[in-house]
Amino acid sequence: MRRSRFFSLREQALRAPLSRRTVLRGMFRGAAVAVALPTLEVMLNGNGNAYACGGVIPRRFGLFFWGNGNRPDQWTPTSDGEDWGLSEELAPLADVKHLVSVVSGYAVKLTNDVPHTSGSCGILSGTPVQFVGSDGTFGGPSIDQIIAAEIGNDTLYRSVQTAAQDIAGLSYNGPSSLNPPETSPWALYERLFGATFREPGGKGLVDPTLALRRSVLDAVGEDLVALEKRVSTADRARLDQHLTGIRELEERLARLEEDPPNLEACSRPGKPLTEYPEVEGRPQTSERSRAMVDLLAMALACDQTRVFSHYHSQPVGDTLYPGASAGHHQLTHDESPPQPEVHAITLQIMEEFAYLVRAFAAVPEADGTLLDNCGILATSEVSEGQTHSLDEMPLLIAGSACGALRTGVHVRSYTGDNASEVMLTLIRAMDIPAASFGVDEAEVTDTVSEVEA
Amino acid sequence: MTNVSQSDWRPARSVVHSPLPMLIALLLAACEPAPDPAAETPLRGDAPAVSPSVPVLKRLTLAQYGNSIHDLLGDELLVSTRLEPDAAVEGLVQLGAAVNALSSYGVDQYEATAYDVLEQVMASESLRARLVPCTPSATRDDACARTALSAFGRRAWRRPLSTAETDRLVEVAGVAADTLGDFHEGLVYGAAAVLQSPNFVYRVELGEDDGAGGRRYTDWEMATRVSYFLWNTTPDDELLAAAEAGELTTDAGLAAQVDRLLADERAREGLRTFFTDMLLLYELDSLNKDPNVFVHMSSEVGPSAREETLQGLDWLAFEDEGDYRDIFTTRTTFLDRKLAAVYGVPAPAREGFAMTELPDDGRRRGLLGQLSFLALQAHPAGTSVTRRGLFVREVLLCQPMAPPPAGLNTAIPEATEDAPTMRDRVEQHLSDPSCAQCHQFTDLIGLGLENFDGLGVWREEENGVVIDPSGDVDGAPFADAWGLAGLLRDHPDTGPCFAKTLFQYANGQILEVGEVELLDWHSQGFEEAGHRVKFLLRDVATSPGFRQAGEIE
Repeated sequence: MRRSRFFSLREQALRAPLSRRTVLRGMFRGAAVAVALPTLEVMLNGNGNAYACGGVIPRRFGLFFWGNGNRPDQWTPTSDGEDWGLSEELAPLADVKHLVSVVSGYAVKLTNDVPHTSGSCGILSGTPVQFVGSDGTFGGPSIDQIIAAEIGNDTLYRSVQTAAQDIAGLSYNGPSSLNPPETSPWALYERLFGATFREPGGKGLVDPTLALRRSVLDAVGEDLVALEKRVSTADRARLDQHLTGIRELEERLARLEEDPPNLEACSRPGKPLTEYPEVEGRPQTSERSRAMVDLLAMALACDQTRVFSHYHSQPVGDTLYPGASAGHHQLTHDESPPQPEVHAITLQIMEEFAYLVRAFAAVPEADGTLLDNCGILATSEVSEGQTHSLDEMPLLIAGSACGALRTGVHVRSYTGDNASEVMLTLIRAMDIPAASFGVDEAEVTDTVSEVEA
Repeated sequence: MTNVSQSDWRPARSVVHSPLPMLIALLLAACEPAPDPAAETPLRGDAPAVSPSVPVLKRLTLAQYGNSIHDLLGDELLVSTRLEPDAAVEGLVQLGAAVNALSSYGVDQYEATAYDVLEQVMASESLRARLVPCTPSATRDDACARTALSAFGRRAWRRPLSTAETDRLVEVAGVAADTLGDFHEGLVYGAAAVLQSPNFVYRVELGEDDGAGGRRYTDWEMATRVSYFLWNTTPDDELLAAAEAGELTTDAGLAAQVDRLLADERAREGLRTFFTDMLLLYELDSLNKDPNVFVHMSSEVGPSAREETLQGLDWLAFEDEGDYRDIFTTRTTFLDRKLAAVYGVPAPAREGFAMTELPDDGRRRGLLGQLSFLALQAHPAGTSVTRRGLFVREVLLCQPMAPPPAGLNTAIPEATEDAPTMRDRVEQHLSDPSCAQCHQFTDLIGLGLENFDGLGVWREEENGVVIDPSGDVDGAPFADAWGLAGLLRDHPDTGPCFAKTLFQYANGQILEVGEVELLDWHSQGFEEAGHRVKFLLRDVATSPGFRQAGEIE
């Protein structure tokens, strides 16, 4: 809403000459935003020690996504500003509302030509749908990957994707380049806390096979580089992405030889169940989500990653929720207003977001909690599902991102402001000096100053 | 690269359906049996010129990866399924494999799986002997490693390795053997480099100068193309030998190998894979149905339904060698006890599946009477006239439908006393012209199937009112699902749609403008050959559009 304090000549120079094509090309390679020189300030806490955000304790970003939207008239808080009035749909957040800010009245400004896809792509990447044949994919990277490109490079995993159902998620590196989520809590546990996990204060692994595996990856990388010279431009971009994965794995293997970060709050969590079978034809979405969230909290506390995205459900998902007479997506379309079943499902989903907030707030970190050092966005790909509306997008932010964000406020736009401003706010809250977010009608250079501290 | 969009595609395809060729075909059919070009000449020789698509890398699908590992290293290996998931483009996983990038997660999983299967190989004396045909003379024996890795590399990469490539693998294995103090443990690292290489993970088919001013796929690339198309797995030794002998760039050599592959049992597995992709049958593993609404629902229903459809299609193509379009009207099907109960017919076998004939009662017949379609293209707790109709339009007739515009109220009104049936409710919905403009094309087909509930159980009534399943398809009226099936069998788009889908699947690429005329030629040949699936498989596998490569910019 206000002019950016980052606005500069350098930014103008960066922004002005870029054609749309150049921007999109850049995006495909993972450089999503025009980024000015990084600031190197180390923020200290009140006692002046280094165990504060930006020092030993890093800032983290999270996304909690669900599909099929909300019911805006039942969602919007009853009053603005601090101590916002709980709405019907946000009632599950009652005990954590001081930790959550609500941003309402914001809209995705891009053409809504492919229901659910325009919205997911528009809100998360600020780009219009890109078509492959008649199918849509993201025109650029999603916000989690934009942020991971900047703050994800010092940890074992650049980002971690999880889902509470067997779904594809929406974490994109660029067009047709999806980061699939881990859908099994047990498999996530094995990856993060299995044989290679080292407790805080432990030592790096001494294992000769780590170097051998790296030598294999070197050979694979050489094959990729050789092949890149022979293929089409589109395939070269695909092979580049593959090569990125190879390099990340090589770095991970090297990091395993180093001593693990010695962080107070880190410990190996309990093992989740290996399976979550359906109960009366209903998936155990809540149980799976909570198991994933518990593991994610510890993955952050142990600094195995600083960026996560968690997909509770997906756009157009027809999940049968407990107590519902039909699938979620069908109900959003066919249930008569005021849609009590859709409302009940939204409450179930908000219960899961509240669980996440409580779980993160329960992990002590430095003088505060893990949540204090996170900025977590909760959103969906539409507002009202029945009409696929992109006005009144549901947008929640939990955590203060090391004091960069205000929590416990409701900021309402009465003029249908651009939802990309919320994304840019979160990106800058990660101490990333991004000049802008989004392209075309979605492009913004301003943030939502009312949620900035 | 110019893909054929809806607007490009329609006029071009109409060439096939213009009255003149149709008339010729009818006249031909009237005076003599359909000719079988395959029986007379090695290849059909009158193909129109094609402007071939630009070669693209195709990453092995989950099934292709698993099949290839089994063929390369041993059938008994357990191969992880926690690999990068397949994702469809234009309704086909095989097209997604040529578009989607591999994520970091996928890279991790390829690495873990490579070591996992190679450890299994080394733990088995017979499998190890197959991979390592020599006896190492020392912990590090580069000559033996070279023998093993050059042979394994040639099979896995579907081409001979260069000396430099082999040297690199031997070096990796040698260093690992020195480090670990064991030749075979060291060799695992060389073989793991083979399996993680893009030369294995992707089908690298880039083409070469054909010496006549154009480009064609090389012999080695043709081995890969026909093998994954017809068998959905890596080429066998005989196919690689034919490639090495330069036979696959000749008409006769290619025809001989295609005929050999088609005569092999593995071609049936290949066709099952194609139909699984085309009809989205993989989604039946997670069929989402409310068991409180559908008493027959259990976790076995989806996989059983897939098996019914695949056994029927396999029988039609390879046993009956019948007309593809009979998928709509056949009463022959394959049922287990579970499905027989859903269909309300006697189970043909106590255990497993057996062939049976559905009663000639004017109710259930063909693909549109099968649970794999009826249940999958419906909501978790009810039917869906839109989803069922959309599937018929897009998948079976290749008529793409635009997505609904945003901002409309999309609700189908809830059932009331005045409007108890789906037809009543949909008619209210269709009274809005902005909805009717598209939904008339889908929902009127779907309403014809309302005698089947959301799982596929036959019913006469809905909410106590007799269901009216009549309707029309593109102006031709039908009385019920039985009649609808007959209309779709004879719909002019049914045969050409199948040809288009198979052609795109074979090439792994969305049809481009320069290929439309060739596709019409395939459709016409398919029709003249009585719509026999085996004919079309052969025709596409030997097509100029399958053999010629576009220029990489």
